[in-house]
Amino acid sequence: MSEGLTRREPVPAEPVSGRDVIVRAAAPMARYALRARQASDVEKLLGRPVPHKIGDTDQGVLCLGPDEWLLLAPAGTALSAGEGAAVAVTEVSDRNIGIIVEGPRASEVLAAGCPLDFDRFNVGRATRTIFETVEVIIQRAAADRFHVEVWRSFAPWLWTAFATVASE
Amino acid sequence: MTGYRLPMGGRVNRQTQLAFRFDGATYAGFEGDTLASALLANGVQLFGRSFKYHRPRGLLGAGSEEPNALISVTRGPGRFTPNLRATSIDLYDGLEASSQNRWPSLKFDLGAINDRLGMFFPAGFYNKTFMWPRSFWEKLYEPAIRRMAGLGHPPTEEDPDHYAATYAHCDVLIIGAGPAGIDAALEAASGNGRVILIDEQDELGGGALSDPALWPWLDRSVKALAASPNVTVLTRTTAFGYFHDNFIGAVERLTDHLADVPHGPREKLWRIRAGEVILAQGAIERPLVFDGNDTPGVMLASAARVFALRFGVAVGRSIALMASHDSGWHDIFALAKTGVGIAAIVDVRDAVSPDLLAQAEALGIPVHLGHSVIGVRGRLGVKAISIARNGGTGVADLACDALLMAGGWTLTVHLWSHSKGTLAWRDDLGAYVPDQPNENVRCVGACAGAWSFGDGAVIDILPTPKDPTRAKAFVDFQNDVTAKDIKLAVREGFRSIEHIKRYTTNGMATDQGKTSNLNGLQIASTALNRPVADIGLTTFRPPYTPQTFGALAGHAKGPLFQPTRKTNIDSWAEENGAVFELVAQWRRARYFPKAGEDMHAAVNRECRMVRSSVGIFDASTLGKIEVVGPDAAEFLNRMYTNPWKALEPGRCRYGLLLKEDGFITDDGVSARLAADRFHLTTTTGGAARVLNMMEDYLQTEWPDLNVWLTSTTEQYAVIALQGPNARKVLEPLVEGIDLSAEAFPHMAVREGTICGIPTRLFRVSFTGELGFEINVPSAYGRALWERIMAEGARFDITPYGTEAMHVLRAEKGFIIVGQDTDGTVTPQDAGLDWAIGKKKPDFVGKRSLARPDIVAPGRKHLVGLLTEDPNVVLEEGAQIVADPNQPVPMTMIGHVTSSYWSEALGRSIAMALVVDGQNRMGQSLFIPMPGQTHVAKVSSMVFYDAEGARLNV
Repeated sequence: MSEGLTRREPVPAEPVSGRDVIVRAAAPMARYALRARQASDVEKLLGRPVPHKIGDTDQGVLCLGPDEWLLLAPAGTALSAGEGAAVAVTEVSDRNIGIIVEGPRASEVLAAGCPLDFDRFNVGRATRTIFETVEVIIQRAAADRFHVEVWRSFAPWLWTAFATVASE
Repeated sequence: MTGYRLPMGGRVNRQTQLAFRFDGATYAGFEGDTLASALLANGVQLFGRSFKYHRPRGLLGAGSEEPNALISVTRGPGRFTPNLRATSIDLYDGLEASSQNRWPSLKFDLGAINDRLGMFFPAGFYNKTFMWPRSFWEKLYEPAIRRMAGLGHPPTEEDPDHYAATYAHCDVLIIGAGPAGIDAALEAASGNGRVILIDEQDELGGGALSDPALWPWLDRSVKALAASPNVTVLTRTTAFGYFHDNFIGAVERLTDHLADVPHGPREKLWRIRAGEVILAQGAIERPLVFDGNDTPGVMLASAARVFALRFGVAVGRSIALMASHDSGWHDIFALAKTGVGIAAIVDVRDAVSPDLLAQAEALGIPVHLGHSVIGVRGRLGVKAISIARNGGTGVADLACDALLMAGGWTLTVHLWSHSKGTLAWRDDLGAYVPDQPNENVRCVGACAGAWSFGDGAVIDILPTPKDPTRAKAFVDFQNDVTAKDIKLAVREGFRSIEHIKRYTTNGMATDQGKTSNLNGLQIASTALNRPVADIGLTTFRPPYTPQTFGALAGHAKGPLFQPTRKTNIDSWAEENGAVFELVAQWRRARYFPKAGEDMHAAVNRECRMVRSSVGIFDASTLGKIEVVGPDAAEFLNRMYTNPWKALEPGRCRYGLLLKEDGFITDDGVSARLAADRFHLTTTTGGAARVLNMMEDYLQTEWPDLNVWLTSTTEQYAVIALQGPNARKVLEPLVEGIDLSAEAFPHMAVREGTICGIPTRLFRVSFTGELGFEINVPSAYGRALWERIMAEGARFDITPYGTEAMHVLRAEKGFIIVGQDTDGTVTPQDAGLDWAIGKKKPDFVGKRSLARPDIVAPGRKHLVGLLTEDPNVVLEEGAQIVADPNQPVPMTMIGHVTSSYWSEALGRSIAMALVVDGQNRMGQSLFIPMPGQTHVAKVSSMVFYDAEGARLNV
C-alpha cells in the first residue's frame, strides 16, 4: 500500500549490549491514547476489559491516569474513532518509540535517571515518569525486562543515555 | 627536616611506598596515606597561604574540616582540580600536587604584604573602600581583589572525565561510619529493610581509625556489613545535602585515589530517597582563639592524634598542648605513648581532674594550669610559644615545634540543619545539639551530643596581657577572620549573627564554618553581652564540602547535555547541506545554501522560488494537539478569542490564544476533522506551554466538559508545499481527495492518502501563496519528502528553511508570537481585532481586554516600517524615536521586531511595535543605529498581495 515508502526510525535497529544488559528498539506498533470518565466507556469501545487501577496493565492496555489509558497493539491495528461517545480515541502510533531494556542490570540502568523505586515496581506495572528531563512511560514486562515508551524526537537522546549507563 | 614517620603503628601499608610531588619537589609516602600525612611525615609544615592576608598556613585538622591546606591536583590535560583539602586527598603513586594563593613561591609570597598591612584591611574593608567611582568596580577593583585574595585557579581546559549518576532508595540511610554509625548500620542490617551506609573517608571507622583498641571491633563490623545482602556500603562518598522528604544528595569519588585513571566514571552522583535517615556525622574539635593560632604547626589535638595513630606520623618532635578541654589531655597522652616528645600541657582552667594530672606526671609532662598561650614564635613553623598566667603579666617562653589546641567539640549538625531540624543550646557542651526533627531523621553518637569527650570549659578568646587590637587571633582560618573583626562588626552595630557573618565572612563559603562557627558565636556573645542562644546560629547550606560541577551535572554533558529534537526529515536536510538553527529544543533547517551562496543569496533564491514556482518546507515541529470529545467545540470556543462552534468539519480557522491578562500567548491554524474532533496547531516553541495551559483550564475551570487533549506533535511529519505550482506537484501523489480550488478551498482540511500513506491534508498558507500542509505518520516523513522532491523536480521544487519562511510571512504581515509580540501585546495592539469574537460572552482574557489601561490611548501597536533607503535592512531590536535631534537619552517610542530584505518587493521591510503606531500611518520615524540614523515611514504590515489574490487559486 505504501508504494515503497519506507519507515525511518530514530533509533538503531541493532541492539546495544552493555554489561549485563541489552538495549534494543521495539518493533513498530499501533498506539492509541484512550480517554474517558468511566473505564466502562473504554471497555465498550474495545469490547474487552481494561485495568481500572492506575499503574495496572492488561494485555497491552496501560491505565495511566484516572481517565487515561494507552493501548499498545500490533502494527496496523485499527480502532473505532468513538464518534458520538463520551470517549476520546487518538492515534499516536508514530508519536512514541518503544525501547526495551533487558538483563540483570535493567532496573539499574533505568534508576540512573528515573526516580522510581524499581524494587517496589512489580511486573505488569506501568507508569508515566521521567528519565532525567525526558518524559517516558515505563512498563515492567518481566523481572529483568522493561518496555520504555518515549516521544520520537527524544528517543535518540534516551537511547544514548541508556547505552551510556549500560556500558558503565 | 625529614623523618617524622613513627617507627611503627598506623594503618598505612609500609610495604608499599608511593612517590609523589608537591610544588615540584619529590617525596615518598605509603599506601594508605593522605597527601597531608605523607607531607607531614616528610617534615613539611607549610601547606598554603591564607585567603586574604597570604599568611603562611599549615594543617589545622586531619579531615574534611581542614580550612587551610587547600591544594590543587593535576593529572594530565583537563584533569586539574583546585581547592582540595590535603587531608582528604588519598595518596597514589605519581600524585602531582601544588599549593595555592602564593607568588612566586609558597615560602616567599609577595602577597604577604597584605599581612603587614593587615590593620588596614578590617572586616568590611572592601565594601567600604571600593565604593567609588562605581564604574571602577567591575573593571579594576574586583579583578584586582580577586587576583590577590583567592583560592585555587579554575580549570581552563574541558574536563575529559565521565560522571555517572543514579537514584537509589532505602529504608534506612546512615550518614557517617564512625562507631555510632556502624552500630546503627549493624542494627538496621539485622532487619529486612534496605540499608545504605555512607562515609566520606576511604575506609569505614571514623574516629575508630585513630583508636587502635577499637580496630578488632572495626574489622569484625566491616566484615559483618559486607556480608549483609541488604546493606550497601559507600566509602569515599560525601552526603553533601539534605533535601525535602528525606532526599539526600551524595557524591561517590571513584577514581581520584587511583594512580592510573581507568575507563569509566570519575564520580557518581547518588540521589537517595530514604525512609529513615540516621545522621552519625560526629563532631569536630574546636580551635582556641589566641594571637598566632594560625602559625604552621598549630593544629587541633584530635588531628595530631589521627596523624600519629592512623597514619603513623608525628606532627612534631616536641609538642605542646593548649587545652580548655579534657580530650586534648587524652590525645597528648596517646601521643606520648608513641614516643613523641611532649613539651608541656597548658590548660586555661585552674583545675582539672586529679586523674589527668596523675597521668601527666607519670608520663613526665610539665603542666601549666590556669595559663594561656599568648603568642607563637616562628613564621613558617612553630619555634616556641609564650604562655602567661591568666590575669597575670609574667610571660614564659617554651620551645616546641608543634602546638595542639583542644577547645572542646562542635557537633556536626550541617545535614540536620539542611533538613530544617531545630537545634537547642547546651551549656555543658558549649554547643548546639539536634532538637526537634523536621523529617524522619535522628542523630546518633557525637553529632547527637551523645558521646563523651570529657569535661571542658567554654571560652571565647584566651586571656592575654597583650593589646588585643594588635593580636592576630584567628576564628575562621579559611576566610581569614580574626576575633577583632567580629568585635568590630559588633561595634559597628551588627546584632544578628547572620549580619555579622556576612560583614566579616565568618563561616561562609566552602568551609561552612566547620571550625569557626561556635568560636565566632562565643565572641559575638561576649561582645554583645547576650547569651549565645539569643544570638542564634547562621544557616548551614549545601554542599557540606565542595563538590565538582562534573558530579552535579552527572551524565548531562556532551550529547546528553539536553536532547536535540530532530524531525524525521532532518537527516535529509543534513545530507543536503542545510544550515541549522535551534528553536526551543528542536533543530530546524534555517536555509539550504548552494555552492557559493551566502545566507542572503540562499534565502533570496528560496523566497523567489516559492513565489514563482513551488517550495517545500519541513513544518513537523509545529505543535499539534488533538482535541476530542462531545464538548470539543465548546472548549475551544472558551479558550480562543474567535468563535469555533459554527466551524464546519473539513474547515480550518486561525486561532488566537490569550492569557488571563489579555496578552497574546500563542496562535495557530486549527482544523475541525469531525463534530467532536479538532486538530490544533501551535507555535513550535509554544507546544508544551499551550497544552499545559489548556489542560489547566480543563481540569480546574471546566471539569464538567467532556473533552480530552492529546499531544500529537510527534505523531505527524508535516511537509508544507507552497507556491503557484504546489497543486500540480501534489496531484499525481494524492488519492481520495479532490484538490481543485472549488472542492478544496483555502483554509480547508481533507483526509485521504498520499503515496498510499494516510494523510491529513491542510490547505493553508503561511507564505501568501497557494499552499498545502501534508500531515503523515512521522516515520514516513523523509520518504514522502523525497517522493515529493522527485515529483516536483519538473517545477524546480526548492527546499526552504525557517529564514525564508520568516521573510515570506513578514511580506504578508503574519506575526510570529514571541518575536513580534513579547507578552505585553493585545490583539488590538497587533492589529488582530478581526480575530476577536465580538458576540462571544467569554473567552480566556476577554475581561482583561476592557481594562482601563488596555483601552487607553498611547499603547504600542504593531505596524509596518518602510525605510527611506530601500536598501537599508534595519536591525531587529533597534529602538525607534520620533525626533533624532533630541538630547540623549532619547525618548524611545518603540522597537523593530522583524526586519528582512524582501526579494519579492526588491526592498527592505520591517515590523515594529510603536507607541500609537496605528495612528501614525505615513509618518516618518527615526531609528538610530551604529554609525547612522535611518528614516522609515510607518505603513501597513501587509507588504505583498494585500488583496490575497495569490491565495485563492
